[in-house]
Amino acid sequence: MKVLIAEDETIIRLDLRGILERHEFTVCAEARDGLEAVELARSTQPDAAILDVRMPHLDGIEAARRIYAERPIPIVMLTAFRDRPTVEKAVAAGAFGYLLKPFREGDVAPALLAAAARHRELLAARRSIGRIEVRPRS
Amino acid sequence: MRVLIAEDETLIRLDLKGMLESAGLEVCAEARDGVEAVELAESASPDVAVLDVKMPRLDGIEAARRILDGRPMPIVIVSAFTEQSLVRRAAEAGVYGYLAKPFREEDLLPAIATAQARFDQLAAVREQVDTLAEALAARKAIERAKGLLMESQKLTEQEAFVRLRRASQSSGRPMRVIAEAIIETIG
Repeated sequence: MKVLIAEDETIIRLDLRGILERHEFTVCAEARDGLEAVELARSTQPDAAILDVRMPHLDGIEAARRIYAERPIPIVMLTAFRDRPTVEKAVAAGAFGYLLKPFREGDVAPALLAAAARHRELLAARRSIGRIEVRPRS
Repeated sequence: MRVLIAEDETLIRLDLKGMLESAGLEVCAEARDGVEAVELAESASPDVAVLDVKMPRLDGIEAARRILDGRPMPIVIVSAFTEQSLVRRAAEAGVYGYLAKPFREEDLLPAIATAQARFDQLAAVREQVDTLAEALAARKAIERAKGLLMESQKLTEQEAFVRLRRASQSSGRPMRVIAEAIIETIG
């Protein structure tokens, strides 16, 4: 699975990359802010994304919204905030998972795998709507 | 929000319960093994379930699968074990979240909120699928019944349709039911 990571703090980004690679994920792109995340999602076509909420230029929640609008992929949000409004905003933006900093290695892969599986389910259900709607009139 | 928790270790179960309650959630059922979790998921009508993996009689992942088969709800797994094979099995079974133990309250609550939101989203899409499939089946039946009426009664399409609609109105039954009855008798 190709994963895009977006995190402005270099140490955390490297840490995340290491964890993902140890768990057989490919990190296809690393963004340092939300705008870069949107661009890299477009150019590298990841299967999933982990986005930090607080980033320069464009925050992770808005980046998630834009990435998802262009091409739906499972998105896991990463944040140091545990406050309800932030969680609610992330959930409303369509986040499939939530990792709290400092995150633990054991939480990263499970969050991504569960998010990817549930997102596949959602896409399959949406596709079946498409199939019903495009069926020609008899 | 009503939560079912399943955890065989009493101390962790109490801890989990305390965390959920202090966040304003209601723990409506406590299971000590997977079998109990499946039963309580049915009888206590929780909105969401938090399940441990390693439990006696039935593990949390298999319990999740059975719960989702019977009465689907968002499920979050908590486990001291996070091997890929276990996590993949859980993901395939249909869980929405998977947290490593010892978990923190601040991990648990967003996981539950996310699980709930995505579960609702999927349920809404599936409901739409059902509605559309139903509408499509109705349309097919009506078209077929119309054709049969046109042929057997020598009617125009419009006349056949009017007859179907009238039968539906006077009987108070949906057009689809009338159409299916016609297909049954003269089809």
